[in-house]
Amino acid sequence: MKLRRASLSVLGLAVALVAAACGGTATSNNPANQTGTLTVWLMNGSAPQSVVDGVNADFKAKYPNVTVKVEIQQWGEIGTKLDTAYAGSTPPDVVELGNTLVAKYAAAGALEDISGKKGSFDNSGTWLQSLTDSCTVSGKLYCVPYYAGSRAIIYRKDFFASANVQVPDSLDGLLTVGQKLMAAHSSDPNFSALYFPGKYWYAALPFIWDFGGDIATQSGGKWQGSLSTSSSQQGLTTLTNLVSSLSRADKTGDEAKQDAAFAQGHIAMIIANGWEVGVITDPKAGDPSLKDKLGAFPIPSHTSGQTAPVFLGGSDLGVAAKSQHKDLANEWVGMLTGQKHMTEMATVGGVIPNNTSMLNLGTGINATFYGAAKNSKFVPNSQNWASVENANVLPDMLVKIFTKQQPIPDATKSASDRITTLLNGGG
Amino acid sequence: MGVAIATPDLESAPRRPGRLRTNLLPYALIGPSVVVIGGILAFPLGMLVWLSLQHYGLRELIAHQGEWVGAGNYQAILVDPLFRQVIVRSLLFTLACVGLTLLFSTLIALLLLKVRQAVRVILMSALVFVWATPVIVTVDIWQWMFDYEFGVINYLLTQLHVGNFIHHNWFDNPVQGLSVLVLVVVWGAIPFVTITVFAGLLQVPADVMDAAHVDGAGAWQRFWFVTAPILKPIFLIVTCLSTIWDFGVFIQIYVMLNARPSSDYFTIAIYSYRESFGVTQYGLGAAIAVIMVLILVIVTFFYVRETVRVAEVAA
Repeated sequence: MKLRRASLSVLGLAVALVAAACGGTATSNNPANQTGTLTVWLMNGSAPQSVVDGVNADFKAKYPNVTVKVEIQQWGEIGTKLDTAYAGSTPPDVVELGNTLVAKYAAAGALEDISGKKGSFDNSGTWLQSLTDSCTVSGKLYCVPYYAGSRAIIYRKDFFASANVQVPDSLDGLLTVGQKLMAAHSSDPNFSALYFPGKYWYAALPFIWDFGGDIATQSGGKWQGSLSTSSSQQGLTTLTNLVSSLSRADKTGDEAKQDAAFAQGHIAMIIANGWEVGVITDPKAGDPSLKDKLGAFPIPSHTSGQTAPVFLGGSDLGVAAKSQHKDLANEWVGMLTGQKHMTEMATVGGVIPNNTSMLNLGTGINATFYGAAKNSKFVPNSQNWASVENANVLPDMLVKIFTKQQPIPDATKSASDRITTLLNGGG
Repeated sequence: MGVAIATPDLESAPRRPGRLRTNLLPYALIGPSVVVIGGILAFPLGMLVWLSLQHYGLRELIAHQGEWVGAGNYQAILVDPLFRQVIVRSLLFTLACVGLTLLFSTLIALLLLKVRQAVRVILMSALVFVWATPVIVTVDIWQWMFDYEFGVINYLLTQLHVGNFIHHNWFDNPVQGLSVLVLVVVWGAIPFVTITVFAGLLQVPADVMDAAHVDGAGAWQRFWFVTAPILKPIFLIVTCLSTIWDFGVFIQIYVMLNARPSSDYFTIAIYSYRESFGVTQYGLGAAIAVIMVLILVIVTFFYVRETVRVAEVAA
C-alpha cells in the first residue's frame, strides 16, 4: 500500500517535471508564457526610481509572468558582497558594476560573454570608448556600458562675485582664486575655498595626469606602478599645496559627505560629479535655495587655457554566467540601456549617457560635466585593479601625504610598489 | 518493536549491563553538545585550515576549486613586514585594552561596594545599559563625538580651554587614533568585568576584612593582601576572556574608520579581513586567521586550566 503510493507520487513528480521541461522549451518563444523571477542589483544613486519603474513597466508588458526584483545596493562594501554573490549558485541575474570592477569579475568567470549579442543593444555602435574598454577583457565583451560620470568643479557663483574673482583657467589661477576666497572669508573658521577630503582619490587623479604622471603603465604584459615618477610627484605636490592652503576638510575623510557639507554654506568649490548638483540642492539632504547660485567649470590644467584630464567613472551592466535567465536578463539590460530609457537617464538622472550620439543632451550646468568626459582617462584596465582599489592604496597614500606623516617621495614610492605587486597578481 | 521490551530482572541486577549503562551515560549526555560544537566550531575551523593551504582567489571562489600551495601562504605572511607590525600593534592594543578594562572595572566594583543601595542600583543600571547597547550603535555614537567637523569632544575641549581643538583630527596620528579606539573598546568591556568582579567582591568574608582592619591594615593593604588573593581566579578568568575578545577586535576599528581603515590601524582581524575580502586572497586571509587562532589557543589554555581549577575547588 505504502509502496504503491510512494511510487505513484514519484511517477507523478516525474510527469510534472517532464511537463515543466517541455513547457519551458515549447513556450520559450512566446514572451507571454515565460515565467520566473529576475533579480537585478543596481547601485544606490544610479537610476532614478522613475526610470527603473519605466523599464519594469515595459518589461512587464512584454513578459507579464516574469517578476523583476530590483535591489538597490550600497557602494560601501560592494566588493565583498559581489564576491559572495558570484560564489553562490544563484547570483543576481543582472548586476550594475562600477567600471573599475568589471575586469576582475569577467576574468574570474563570473560574467556571461555577450560578444555575440552586441549588435542587439541600442547605440552599441557609438558606445563611449572608455566604457566599452572597461567591458572588454581579452577581446570579449562581458557587459553593456550603462552610464558615465566625470568630475568638474562645482562652485558658488555668489561667493566668486563677492570676492571679485573669475573662474580660473590654470592650476596657478585656481590657487590664487582660492586664496582670495579664503581671505574674503577669513572670519569663518569653517570656510574652505576648495573642499578636498583626504581620501578623495578620484579627484586627485586629474592632478597626477595633468603633469603627465599615471597610476601604472604596462609594458610586455607586466605592470609597473608609476606614482613615484617625477611627473606624478609634481602633480601631487601641486594638489598638496592647494589642499593645505584652501581646504579645511577632514584629511582622513572621504567624499561621502561633501555635498551635505557644501550645502551648509561654508564651501566655495568642490570637485564633484554632475549628479551631485541634485544632492546639494535636494530639499531634504541639501539646500534648494542654492539652485541658482551654483556653477561648474572643468578642472584647469597647469597649462593655462587647457583642462586637466579627469577620471571617467561610470557603471556597466553585466549578466551572471550562472544566471538561469540569461536571455531575460539581457532583454532587461537592453531596455534600460535602450534609446528611450537612456534618454531619461541623461535628462532626469543627470548622468552622462552610454553613447556619444546622446552627448548633446547635456544642457546648462550639465554641459560642463559632459564636456569634461571628452578629456578623460581611466585607471589601469587590469583584472587586478579591484584589488588595488579594495586595498585602499591610493586613499592611504593621499592621507599620508596630506597629514604629513610621510613626505611625497616616500609615500608615492611605497604606494607605487604596492600597486606593482597587486596589478601583477601578487598579494 | 514496542512489545518486545522486557521488564528488567531487578533481583539478579546483572552488574555488567549496569556498569555499561553508567559508562555510556556520560558519553550519551555529552554526545549532543559534542555534535553541535563539532558542527559549528570544529568543521568551520577545519575548513579554515584547509583553505589556508590553498591559493584561493576570486576565480577559485567562483569555481569552488582551490589550488594547493601547502605552507605557501604562511611563508608569504611571515616574511611580510606589514604582518609583523600588525602582530605587535594587536598585542599592544590588547595589552592596553585589557589593562585599562581591569583597572577601571575593579575601581568601579570597589565603588559599588561602598555606595548606598540607591546609587548602586543607578550605577548597575547604567552598566547594564552600556552592555545592552549594540556595538554598532555604540561605535556610531563615539564616531560622532570624535567627529572632525561636528564632534562634541572637539567642541568641549575648546570651550574648556584645553587647547584649540577646532578641526582637530583624532585619527591623523595613529597613536592618538588607536588611543581613542582603546577608549571605545574599554568603555564597552567595563560592564561585564565590573559586574563579575563585583560578584566576586561580595564573596570576600566580612570577618576576614574586619580582622585585617583591626590588625591595622590600610585600604591598599586590605585590597592587596586580602581581596586580591580571594579574587585571583576571577581576575584570571576575566583577563583571559578580555584578551580573547580584545585581540580579535574588529567592529570598533572598522566602523569608527568608515570601513576603510588605513594600514596604520590594521589589527590582526582587520588585516585578515582585508586580505580575504579586500584583495580577494582568501587563502592568505585564512592563513592569517589560523595564526590568530593559534595565538588565542595559548590564552585559552590558561583560561581552561583556571576554570578547571576553580571547578575542582568548588567541588
